Amino acid sequence: MKIQHSWLMDFIGAPLSVEDLIVKLTRLGFNIEGIKKTGASFSGVVVGQILAIEKHPNADKLSLCGVGDGTTVMKVVCGAKNIAVGQKILFARVGAVLAEGTLKKARIRGVESEGMICAAEELGLEGYDNSGILVLPENTQLGVDAASLFAKPDCVLEVEITPNLAYCLSHYALARELCAFYNLPFKQPAVPELPGSGDLRVPIKIEDSGLCGRYTAVVVENVSAAKTPEWLAGRLRAMGSNPKNNILIDVSNYVMYELGQPTHCFDLAKLAGPEIIVRPAKAGEILKSLDNQDLKLDGAMLVIADKDKPAALAGVIGGMDSAVSDTTKAVLIESASFNPSAVRLSSRKAGVKTESSYRFERGTDPELTVLAARRMAQIILEAAPGAKVIQVTDNYPSKYAPKVIEVRPERVNAILGAEIPEKEIFACLKAIQPELVDDKPWRFPAPSYRRDIDSVWDIAEEAARYIGYDVIPARSNMPVMRACATPSYEVTRELKNRLAYLGFSEVYNYDFISLRDFRNCLLNEENAVPLKNPLSTDFQFMRTAMVAGALKTLKFNLNRGRSSVSVFEVGNIFRKTDKGHSEETMCAGLMYGAFPGEESWRGGSAMADFYHLKGVLNYIFSGYGGFRFEKAKNPPAYFHPGVVLEMKLGNLQAGYLGMLNPQAAMNSDLKDNQIYYFELPLKALVSAYKPEFWARLPQVKAVSSFPNTWRDLSVVMDDKFEWAEIEKEISKAPDLSAVKLIDVYKGKSVGENLKSVTIRFNFSSMDKTLTDTEINAHIAAILAKLGLNFNAKLRG
Amino acid sequence: MTPEDWKAKLSLTRDSFLSALIKTDSAGIAEFETKYLGRKGELTLLLRDLKDFPIEDRKALGALGNALKTELSAALDARKTETGAGAVNLEKSKFDLTLAGYPFPRGGLHPLTIVADKMYDGFQKLGFSIAEGPLIEEDYFNFEALNFASDHPARDMQDTFYVDLKDSRGKDLLLRTHTSPVQIRTLKNQEPPVRVVSAGRVFRSEAVDASHSFAFHQMEGFYVDKNVSMADLKWTLEAFMKDLFGSSAKISFSPSFFPFVEPGAQVAVSCVFCKGSGAACPVCKGTGWIELLGAGVIHPNVIKACGYDPEKWSGFAFGAGIERFAMLLYGISDMRMLYENDLRILKQL
Repeated sequence: MKIQHSWLMDFIGAPLSVEDLIVKLTRLGFNIEGIKKTGASFSGVVVGQILAIEKHPNADKLSLCGVGDGTTVMKVVCGAKNIAVGQKILFARVGAVLAEGTLKKARIRGVESEGMICAAEELGLEGYDNSGILVLPENTQLGVDAASLFAKPDCVLEVEITPNLAYCLSHYALARELCAFYNLPFKQPAVPELPGSGDLRVPIKIEDSGLCGRYTAVVVENVSAAKTPEWLAGRLRAMGSNPKNNILIDVSNYVMYELGQPTHCFDLAKLAGPEIIVRPAKAGEILKSLDNQDLKLDGAMLVIADKDKPAALAGVIGGMDSAVSDTTKAVLIESASFNPSAVRLSSRKAGVKTESSYRFERGTDPELTVLAARRMAQIILEAAPGAKVIQVTDNYPSKYAPKVIEVRPERVNAILGAEIPEKEIFACLKAIQPELVDDKPWRFPAPSYRRDIDSVWDIAEEAARYIGYDVIPARSNMPVMRACATPSYEVTRELKNRLAYLGFSEVYNYDFISLRDFRNCLLNEENAVPLKNPLSTDFQFMRTAMVAGALKTLKFNLNRGRSSVSVFEVGNIFRKTDKGHSEETMCAGLMYGAFPGEESWRGGSAMADFYHLKGVLNYIFSGYGGFRFEKAKNPPAYFHPGVVLEMKLGNLQAGYLGMLNPQAAMNSDLKDNQIYYFELPLKALVSAYKPEFWARLPQVKAVSSFPNTWRDLSVVMDDKFEWAEIEKEISKAPDLSAVKLIDVYKGKSVGENLKSVTIRFNFSSMDKTLTDTEINAHIAAILAKLGLNFNAKLRG
Repeated sequence: MTPEDWKAKLSLTRDSFLSALIKTDSAGIAEFETKYLGRKGELTLLLRDLKDFPIEDRKALGALGNALKTELSAALDARKTETGAGAVNLEKSKFDLTLAGYPFPRGGLHPLTIVADKMYDGFQKLGFSIAEGPLIEEDYFNFEALNFASDHPARDMQDTFYVDLKDSRGKDLLLRTHTSPVQIRTLKNQEPPVRVVSAGRVFRSEAVDASHSFAFHQMEGFYVDKNVSMADLKWTLEAFMKDLFGSSAKISFSPSFFPFVEPGAQVAVSCVFCKGSGAACPVCKGTGWIELLGAGVIHPNVIKACGYDPEKWSGFAFGAGIERFAMLLYGISDMRMLYENDLRILKQL
């Protein structure tokens, strides 16, 4: 909300500088979101006249002007194009204080300038053309202080009003708040009483007092074509509102900004009856709104109707057909109290939000309608001297009954953990509610504009605001509590750390993906959860897999000059299910290009391939019993069907790893398809995770204290045999403590469909040093087994 | 060869060794060592000859031979020291020590993870356990139970994404707009006393710019017990801030509004970057304070919604934007940087 300092001061009977105001507001919980100074805050500027113009001797774009102020003529260098001899202009003398600072005597391209001809912005004036100097009307008096030609210096603050402070949505209400909390004199607006009820020209009928608790109507006649006075138009402009130069239109806005009460003026001649009925709309009724939309109404929307049809959507917007105009002769001023929920519903259904609905939704003060109506009438009468009030009706069926809160000061202090003296708490409550009596327990009736005060917790907040939040100590009687282990968090943290150690960078992608992402990754969106209100088609669905984000990250970084990318992400995927939906946390990783990825002066690093990734996963899962790779039974389509494995933890599915399907890479405009990817569901790790520290520790196996022996064996066998089956056969040999595959070679020298494999064995015994004879016997047995099962022959 | 012959040869070797040794300088000493003690040196060969003697002789002569070897080795070492030949030549190593070390894999955690972990660590020290909650959330947990009535304007403060699914109450499911639903989910499952923190992703339907994102991260913390007050909250947050920013950090509360707390507070920490001294401080803008959290005493309606009597049970809650902390701590000025996944940035961390 915008607050103009001078306007606010209409209601505060003591000086309060802008700086002090800002501090005081902030302390009460009003954040200041913007500060805009307005008006003439400059000095030392007079009205001058350009008497002569010649070219600057050293610069094409500058002119040398003779400027007179009525007594002397000064030489001034000027760069503006719109200068002409005879113009009245704003002349800043040396020493003048301008928007950017004090003006000093200056030499410009070798010529001394004795002042400056000003553009509006150089004086901090808003709302003028700044393409050249500001030219004043011809009849402006020469030599006068230019500040006197403009509005006085002022300041407009952008104040954040949170919903709990909505009772401060006006200058009047904010001033009242400041006065209560800082013990400043509050100045009630001087609004004359209206003549009694007058004629009953327009009957007012409220059908449901739950929806409209009060309706104050004032009928004013003879208002034709009254113009908006400049002081009022200026204030509206300060609010960012565009005055319409018709007082009947502008006055409603003005009173709303001033008092917080939204009001409306109907052209009496355009109301059928004339009468006013506050009622729910009938299904099918249509209201042509002031902004020229046809609003379709239904029974859930509250309208102000005349005899025939709706004339306004109550509290939201008026109707075009009953709108005031330059030809309006008589008006009916509406100042009412509507049910906040009803206005919110109407506004939402109609899709119309206004300053009025904004205030009604947050609750207005039912006790304010009469004051606002009187203020409306006062302003109209001043602007239209012939106007006359002929009817005042105040229909108030739902009288305000304050909620009374029982307050014990010790309860307030218990909530705050403070020791605020009783009399200070009382002073606070008394400032908010002057009617409060000092009989304990205090019975605090909430003022009509403070329906947010509902319980002792609200009272505690008021007391803290009154005394200052800093009075609450940082002190605790909290008992010691044990932080419990959270396996899902611990597993995730460990997993992330392991991947980071291995050279993977963690990334964060959005949870939203597009239809195109599904197609690119060879997925379909059948089981995807769509957003109802996506920001754009790029973010239309909740992701069902992590792969789209991984590919985007890869592409983004390749486009920025990287040649290798190893990244991972932990995030959620979402799917529609028979029962509704599922949400699952996944870890996905991608490897591409050289690994570890940084070039070295000693030579290039290896290109990441499937076995790098397999090594990574072995490390990730180390310490989890029952981990193994298996043939993938039904891998996601974005994996290369021939280069993919499934992971298992015991019986649990623990994800997939493999090469990304080259089609997916191509769809994403990636030239190379050597992209390796894994994804695993965190829940598998979590369920295999033992929360007790000791249970995760491996039990140490003793090692032999006798020498151990390494032997290599190179055999040739058919290429079809896989290492896993070979290893299984030979790893049970006696005294064997380790077996490693150290070379696989295929080539012409080996023979077609054959491969040479070199296996390294380590033999040791817990009891003795093994002799050559014993080891040779073991190797012979292994060779025999390889021959029997795989038709392997010792390599020649 | 008789044992006597062998002894004589040994004696000769000793004499020639010792007399030649004195004349040997540092340049010749390696050659000298090879001549006598190398694999084919005089003494080595002599000892090797022992294998042809009978076992008794071998033992006796071997002892003599080994004694001499020890003696001569010691003499040689002494001579090496004398001539300076024992010193390792350190001058000839020609390494360019300015070459880079070989690159080890260099990955890293995302700044938001690092910061969230650090915050978790801080709160765990104060006895907070970690809880988690879903991102697709029910209106009840995200709003209703947190004292956002269905038509309350406070809902406008948080522009909500809805998904095309209904919850069991027939309302549209939504993406949680804050981590506060974890309060309700936890308290409905667990009797107080409860002291919990929960970090995670939240969503608001707003345009992305340098300081806004439609997806961001929060950390929620709350404590429900008997006699919990705003002073406990202040102590807890101050202890946490000291953990993060050092023991000189102070906090300040000012009034603020969140529907699920009353009284509500905005929490600022004293600027550790300028120590409250610099008008030109880009972090605190010269105010000396950095706003970092929202907090307050849990609203009685929230306690009630969780099934407890607010006259008996009370609590505090706080919420922090993790991006805000990360941007502050890493000097990041544009929030979008956190979701671009630019390795030129992530590899710096």
